[in-house]
Amino acid sequence: MSDVIMHVEKLTKSFGDHIVLKDIDLDITKGEVISIIGPSGCGKSTFVRCLDLLEKPDSGHIIFDGTDITDPKTDTAQVLPKIGMVFQSFNLFNNMTVKDNITFAPVHHGIMSKPEADKKALELLDWVGLTDKADDYPSRLSGGQKQRAAIARSLAMNPDIMLMDEPTSALDPEIVGEVLGIIRKLADSGMTMVIVTHDMSFAKEVSDRVLFIDETRIMESGTPEEVFEHTKNERLQKFLAAVMQ
Amino acid sequence: MKKKNKIFRQTVLLVLLSVFVLSVFTACGSKGHAVTDKASLTGARVGVQIGTTGDTDVSALKHGTKVQRFDKGADAINTLKQGKLDAVVIDGEVAKAFVKQNPDLKILEEPFETEEYAGVIAKDNTELLDKVNKAMQELQDEGILDKLKDTYINEKGDYHYKEKVTSGDTLVMASSIDFPPYEYFDNGSSTPVGFDVEMAYAIADKLGMKLEIQNIQFDAIINAVNSGKADIGFSGFTVTEERKKSINFTSNYMETQQAIIVQKGGAGNGQSFGDKLYNSFIKDHRFNYLLSGLVNTIIITIFAVLIGVVLGFLIALVRVTHDKNGNLKVLNFIAKLYLTIVRGTPMMIQLLIIYFVIFASVDISKVLVAIIAFGLNSAAYQAENFRSGIMAVDAGQFEAGHALGLKYGTVMTSIILPQAVKNVLPAIANEFISLLKETSISGYIGLQDLTQGGMIIRSITYEAMIPLLAVAVIYLVIVLILTWLVGKLEKALRKNER
Repeated sequence: MSDVIMHVEKLTKSFGDHIVLKDIDLDITKGEVISIIGPSGCGKSTFVRCLDLLEKPDSGHIIFDGTDITDPKTDTAQVLPKIGMVFQSFNLFNNMTVKDNITFAPVHHGIMSKPEADKKALELLDWVGLTDKADDYPSRLSGGQKQRAAIARSLAMNPDIMLMDEPTSALDPEIVGEVLGIIRKLADSGMTMVIVTHDMSFAKEVSDRVLFIDETRIMESGTPEEVFEHTKNERLQKFLAAVMQ
Repeated sequence: MKKKNKIFRQTVLLVLLSVFVLSVFTACGSKGHAVTDKASLTGARVGVQIGTTGDTDVSALKHGTKVQRFDKGADAINTLKQGKLDAVVIDGEVAKAFVKQNPDLKILEEPFETEEYAGVIAKDNTELLDKVNKAMQELQDEGILDKLKDTYINEKGDYHYKEKVTSGDTLVMASSIDFPPYEYFDNGSSTPVGFDVEMAYAIADKLGMKLEIQNIQFDAIINAVNSGKADIGFSGFTVTEERKKSINFTSNYMETQQAIIVQKGGAGNGQSFGDKLYNSFIKDHRFNYLLSGLVNTIIITIFAVLIGVVLGFLIALVRVTHDKNGNLKVLNFIAKLYLTIVRGTPMMIQLLIIYFVIFASVDISKVLVAIIAFGLNSAAYQAENFRSGIMAVDAGQFEAGHALGLKYGTVMTSIILPQAVKNVLPAIANEFISLLKETSISGYIGLQDLTQGGMIIRSITYEAMIPLLAVAVIYLVIVLILTWLVGKLEKALRKNER
């Protein structure tokens, strides 16, 4: 039990009359890399967005590092920085340089002084291979560079878990690789990650566990081998056949 | 460089086009019904000044008489000269002044009707009425009124009354300063002169009060007096039973006639273009009316824009915050109500309401009233500018801020607003340009702005084209300069982003 960093219990979410997720249970262990796959509109993005409270769950609980973040009494501003989030559309702050994008939140929260944050930012930029872009504005970056900068921004808060919502879907095929390389590096470093993805071969390669979400629930869960090679679930087989073509 | 040429060419084209259209219209007046005496007014096209007795009584003529009602006598005279009217019925002394300036017009021997002039005082202010009547009686007994009549009406003698009391309590007089020889501007100054004006100074001195004259449209004077904006109105008011219902009249000070003015027939205007230019601007330094008006227009515009930007920004913040997270319900309701009212009613009505209703009993500068009215109006439009600017910053940055544990206010002030302000700067600058033009209705509260400056020149020279075109050109030049600056601003902003 001590290894569980995030515990999800009976999570339900609907938009109006449309139920997207129903009674989802999940335990995420420290260091684990989980990929979530499933057909468009199945609710996999909604699920990771719920984990960061970007969507408010209708019911259920999310216990993160011993704190129930769905409890209205919890000061989420304290907890959320520890949950990193990487968006499909990067969402960099366009009025700040790449370096300021990274340092703004840690300095604002008082976690680091400005010089410390600057030093950390340069380390992170070096790590994602963007040292020379530190003083550029996001509008001058390519999609892949933006996403690497966004990952660096999340890492600056020293998160205990990284959530990624289709991190490569908005990228041109030839630059997907540079972002996947960074995510792979992150996985190798032992970061706990939940990645929503359409890239089956990457999910197969990088994950410890793969979840298949469909019809409001986690329909299949297992090692990449179990999910991709030996599933007996008909819907999953159909889905895989369709995306592998 | 190419663009500059284009703007220049467009301007020249525009000016030429407007001159052409104006001259076509001026030339196109058709001859109608010949008016030779009072009886032949029936069925003719007759111009009158709104709210005068001529207006009431000519409008009562039946049998297809077409009455055109003008705010200013000078407009009616102009229209007559263009051949679009057959006759103008107007106060006898005013008619004499007009005809003196326009040799191609004449007054018919038979007057339209006889009437009496008196001042107006609010119904509930009988104390002032008694005092004024007593003062007028004394002035009559001392022969001062007769001497003024000689100077202004009979044009013999050069008696002028000099005011004595220049401090202490103020007697505010409302008057429509476009009615020579009773009240008008002369010698290029912005100090009104005329029979009513000097009589009012004499009365104020008798009361031991200092006189302040407010230039207000004729048909708004009774309102101004009733609402307390002015204590008394002297503006060639004819005593009528209808008016007695809403206002008290002082003693009569003048018996006069409504005269009928017609064209002599055939005679041209007689003034060359150069004469017109000279009369409109150079003579008596009349260009000063435009200059002082322009100063007011610019002051009003600049301060109104400031109010609009600050208030509009706050309203936009309330609206966006409510839309994003449901807070500030009450403020949002107020803001929405405000936007609905301001954007759903004409600017002119708002200006009139603010001056004659909201600030009715407050002694406040008209420029300040205009600044407040235009500022409040502009705020509604600026609010929507700011709001669309904030909405244009993609919601993803809010989410990224949230994910980093940043509070709504922090994300708003440090991330969203700096981008939004940059987005809306051009729109805000454009609102500045439209506001500049909108202030041209300031004349409705008797404020002398640029447009009103042109109107005053027109009321002196009875020549509409030159002052109106001049006013239009001044607005156009300012707008073109501002447009050019906005263009530069936009370019600079775009450069900044790369």
